[in-house]
Amino acid sequence: MDRTAPAIEITGLHKSYGGFQALRGIDLTVARGERVVVCGPSGSGKSTMIRCINQLEEHDSGTIRVLGTVLDGRLASLDEIRREVGMVFQQFNLFPHMTVLENCTLAPMLVRRLPRAEAEATAMRFLEKVRIPEQAQKYPAQLSGGQQQRVAIARALCMEPQIMLFDEPTSALDPEMIAEVLDVMVTLAQEGMTMVCVTHEMGFARKVADRVIFMDRGEIIEAAPPGQFFSAPQNDRTRQFLSQVLGH
Amino acid sequence: MARLLSFPGTRRQRELALQAVFLSALAALVLGAALTARERLAAQGLTSGFGFLRKATGWEINFALLPTTTADPYWWYLLSGLVNTLFMGAVGLSGAFALGLLVGLMRSGRNPAARLLGTLYVELFRNLPIILQLFFWYAVATALPNPRQSIEIGGALVNARGIYLPGPEIGRGIAALSALAILAGAGLAVGILAARRFRRAAPLRRQSLAALSLAAGFAVAAGLALAFRDPATPWITHPRAEGLRITGGWRIQPEFYALALTIITYGAAYVGEIVRGGLKAVPRGQIEAAAALGLTAWQRFSRVTMPLAFRAMLPMLANQSVWLMKATTLGIAVGFSDFFMVVAGSINHSGQTLELIGILMAGFLAINLTLAALMNRLDRALSLEGSSMRPRR
Ligand SMILES: Nc1ncnc2c1ncn2[C@@H]1O[C@H](COP(=O)(O)OP(=O)(O)O)[C@@H](O)[C@H]1O
Ligand SMILES: [Mg+2]
Repeated sequence: MDRTAPAIEITGLHKSYGGFQALRGIDLTVARGERVVVCGPSGSGKSTMIRCINQLEEHDSGTIRVLGTVLDGRLASLDEIRREVGMVFQQFNLFPHMTVLENCTLAPMLVRRLPRAEAEATAMRFLEKVRIPEQAQKYPAQLSGGQQQRVAIARALCMEPQIMLFDEPTSALDPEMIAEVLDVMVTLAQEGMTMVCVTHEMGFARKVADRVIFMDRGEIIEAAPPGQFFSAPQNDRTRQFLSQVLGH
Repeated sequence: MARLLSFPGTRRQRELALQAVFLSALAALVLGAALTARERLAAQGLTSGFGFLRKATGWEINFALLPTTTADPYWWYLLSGLVNTLFMGAVGLSGAFALGLLVGLMRSGRNPAARLLGTLYVELFRNLPIILQLFFWYAVATALPNPRQSIEIGGALVNARGIYLPGPEIGRGIAALSALAILAGAGLAVGILAARRFRRAAPLRRQSLAALSLAAGFAVAAGLALAFRDPATPWITHPRAEGLRITGGWRIQPEFYALALTIITYGAAYVGEIVRGGLKAVPRGQIEAAAALGLTAWQRFSRVTMPLAFRAMLPMLANQSVWLMKATTLGIAVGFSDFFMVVAGSINHSGQTLELIGILMAGFLAINLTLAALMNRLDRALSLEGSSMRPRR
């Protein structure tokens, strides 16, 4: 693993489902420590793109290099990357048959081979960070949506990844729970985590993003720092999208 | 009408009163029928009651795990039949579960050849009547060459009289006890894995405890076999053909293995479908989350997919187990002395039809209610805490 390589380098990424082109030539480089927010209309390929980064989707062509390692379909490179890239899903996807603590210790024990005591100590540290250490012995279904999503963030952090991917982490939440999840994400961003975050929370984008990316129909249409992105969008489609999500 | 049905008190009291009326009516009916039957039987000079259970039977059964001779009384025969049924159930169910798991995995996997094979299997075994399958296996078993031309496969002899396996010379009773010890060890292991209180057992983890209890079962079985084996014989005797006679080793009778094969192969078709359904019921998102965390394919399967799929399968597996248990009564069609066949024989020889049918029903109810209760217990123990599907304790 190359210590100086950018966090993520994507060039010429294509992906089709059957005859449908979900991604049509994506080029994107994310520097270490950079926070990128991705937005765009539903079906524009945002999920597909970030799921290619940890190979939950296999891409058809183009290259993806994560922390200097090329994702060429070999299992070894895949294992190496997934260990370093955490992911948070819209639907939380906690393991319902395990307690919160077990959710958080499973991968560190199996993948990083940490002893149980050490894995539990790490888990408690991150559960404190997302402010729910008292729920460690509960099961996911006993928690609110916001709490579940914070556990999901803690679970990903327990692997001590270098990059975190978020796919609409607040879209399945009731409005009153969105803030508690965004707070945790802001803290993470301020600590220097490399983040790629698909979200329509424009307040979050303004606050922490180094760059905002707008996608439409499988392409990156516009990429700019938030100040410029929101005040002076260059592309018509971006302007139209912004007027929809910002409500004016 | 409304006035007629109105009843003072709460709805709950009204329901209780209705239940009481219904139950007393039912009790009166059963009692009346029993008294009438007794009177009629007495008038015809037939005795009723359970006195016959102590009488010697004087006839033989062709398969028994417990040592059984013609001098034994009826109650021992019935017990022997019950043990045979339980043994057949244990062999048939575990075999059907194991093969069914394989078939279900094949049908759910990505390999097209394996999927086709799995589909063919299910469609073949599910769509032929089970009794036909039993006759088929029995016909195959008895169409094998006669003992003089026994086929030898790795020290075992196979012929129309059965399969003869090499093994230590131990008595039937000890063999039955050993099998029981192994079953008890396995049962305890499942219990430990299922029980919540062992969740955080330290320093030995649940798995090691379960493995320990499984090993203990085998150790006790081996100990029993060692302690009670005939010291004059070698550790393992190989079956030998002496003309038409086969001496030494363990004989598995055609009646037994034809029925066991039927239950295993027929049951596996259904279990395979249950497994496939269970695997389908696991949300993709949770498997993806495990993948994103870096778990290998096997770790995802064993830690996430299978535990969740198994929970989805349990109620249907419970159903299927009870169904297969009842299917063991088909043994009578090929002459396997299960509980049902022993009861039928006892009715023929003693004439105590009603009593024996009562015993038969009580025996099967006891087996199947226990089985259902155990599966239910497992289902509760494993059910997902906090989810709406969790039954109240
Ligand atoms: N597994 C799939 N099979 C077929 N089509 C898919 C699949 N996943 C996504 N798509 C299609 O690809 C396009 C992009 O999807 P997605 O990346 O989920 O969009 P977004 O996350 O921006 O809403 C959509 O049109 C969607 O219907
Ligand atoms: Mg999406």
